[in-house]
Amino acid sequence: MKNLLETIDLRKTYKIGKIEVEALQGVNLRIREGELVAVMGPSGCGKSTLMHLLGAMARPTAGKVLIDGDDIAGMNDGQLTEVRRNKIGFVFQKFNLLPTLTAGDNIAVARHIHGRGGPAHDQHLEEILQMLMIQDKMGRRPSELSGGEQQRVAIARSVANRPAILLADEPTGSLDTKNSEIVLNMFRELNRRFRQTIILVTHNPELVIYTDRLIEMRDGVIVSDNDPFPEDTESELAQPARSV
Amino acid sequence: MNKKMIMAGLAARPVRTTVSILAVALEVTLILVVVGLTSGISYETGKRTEGVGADIMFQPPNSSLILAINNSTMPIALENKIKEVEGVKAVAPVQTLVNSSSGLEIIYGIDPQKFDAVTGGFIWHKGGYFKATDEIVVDDVYALAKKVTVGDQVEVLNHKFKVSGIIEHGKGARLFISQQTAQEMTGMVNRASMFYVKLNDPDQVNTVIGRMEKVFPTYGLRPLREYAKLMMSTSMPALDAFIETVVFVAVCIGVLVIFLSMYTTITERTREIGILRSLGGSKRFIIGLIFQESAVVCLIGIVLGVGSSFLLARLVQFIFPTLIVMITPDWILKASFFALVSGVIGSLYPSMKAAAQDPVEALAYE
Repeated sequence: MKNLLETIDLRKTYKIGKIEVEALQGVNLRIREGELVAVMGPSGCGKSTLMHLLGAMARPTAGKVLIDGDDIAGMNDGQLTEVRRNKIGFVFQKFNLLPTLTAGDNIAVARHIHGRGGPAHDQHLEEILQMLMIQDKMGRRPSELSGGEQQRVAIARSVANRPAILLADEPTGSLDTKNSEIVLNMFRELNRRFRQTIILVTHNPELVIYTDRLIEMRDGVIVSDNDPFPEDTESELAQPARSV
Repeated sequence: MNKKMIMAGLAARPVRTTVSILAVALEVTLILVVVGLTSGISYETGKRTEGVGADIMFQPPNSSLILAINNSTMPIALENKIKEVEGVKAVAPVQTLVNSSSGLEIIYGIDPQKFDAVTGGFIWHKGGYFKATDEIVVDDVYALAKKVTVGDQVEVLNHKFKVSGIIEHGKGARLFISQQTAQEMTGMVNRASMFYVKLNDPDQVNTVIGRMEKVFPTYGLRPLREYAKLMMSTSMPALDAFIETVVFVAVCIGVLVIFLSMYTTITERTREIGILRSLGGSKRFIIGLIFQESAVVCLIGIVLGVGSSFLLARLVQFIFPTLIVMITPDWILKASFFALVSGVIGSLYPSMKAAAQDPVEALAYE
């Protein structure tokens, strides 16, 4: 399977006043195409920081983040933006829909930024909307939708451009049990039906049953990873880093 | 899609959007009405001065082109000296007074015989020249605006006058009183604000002015046609500083309001900017959105401002019928340009700030 994401001795340090906080202290992982992975750990363990780095939202302090083979460490803002635009889809805990636009327009904005359009993509989008059961909600504003519906619109927006990787940060954090279940099943369905690579970042252990692989973090390092192909990962990680 | 986002953003904050549009409209209105009023008065004065029919305007040393702000006077006895200059046919001394209680009116204190000799006389609609010191001649525009006719009483500069005659407009001023009355009212006896000079041959203006300059080296000597042309042009040197100041103040208003509006917009919408950045929106895309939003505000403001300028011009003319507000296409274009420039300047920093926001921090903004 093709490697989509790879981190090599990834480190991220934040400066808060005069204090330096090491959010990530040497993270090595590899995520392959079509995987549905959960990154779990308590608050402050560095999982959100890891998500921001995997999503090209921030640059590492040290180490490498290879997204589809390209190291983002040396990229400028424009290049990072391009990576996000073309390869990444985000789903957030607070949905993050644009409040002034309808659900349909929220999805259209992502497609507009991406520069996508045309009937082929419309068909793909139709399938997604149908699967997420929100095709009749497109004319509504976020304030007119339930939390579960908003999150499904956010999911539709995140995958409307067929990103290589879908990153979801606590996607059920603002939902009740029933809606959480629906949303998690949607992620699973997206993964199964479209071979969508998905990384779910969560502190909720119940979510793990929906994923194929669990990476546990604590204090900025990975403490366990039930990688189905661990030898492959280790042997490859032992090789010199791929140049970009 | 940009259009939809911009319109939705503007509609979501109706009060701020309305205030911003009104501020731009105010900027445009301020420029158009003040410039229009200034140009209108200047143009009208120039046209009426040209209508006097004289060839040379003779003014005291260091006097202003704008008669309304001219306080200098000179001895009336100069009249005879001017007459002695070769080529001069007639000379009419004029004492000017300014009435600003209802608009801006220039009143001429004249000697009827001398004034007629230079101008060729008035076209009378009714009545005739003043026979007493408390009589006044008004032009038809004034009579219509004030709804007065011969025999009616008008109050000018706290003096009550009886209308003795109504003339066709376009001969220097709208109101004429006797030279003696004017001198009494100003307290400047045997003095004149200017002389209108008629020549035997109008084509010899420059030659005669050359002769006059030798006799009166420090006095203001201007060919009347040149003076009228200057007054009627849109770029009158004497008014340029005033107009530039008005434009500067108006642009400052526009810049500050757009800046404030856009700055609060981007602060309120920090999270939205973070969302757009997470979707792959570039810095240029964010800057473009802010600029386009500001441009929409400016364009609506411009349309509203131009419309309200015409309305205000009508209102001014309704209240002060003798005033003219000239809203010209070139100034509409200039005012629109200034409004757009203020929009660009006002949204420059906010858009840069928006684009420079860290996507992670922007998404965490509450």
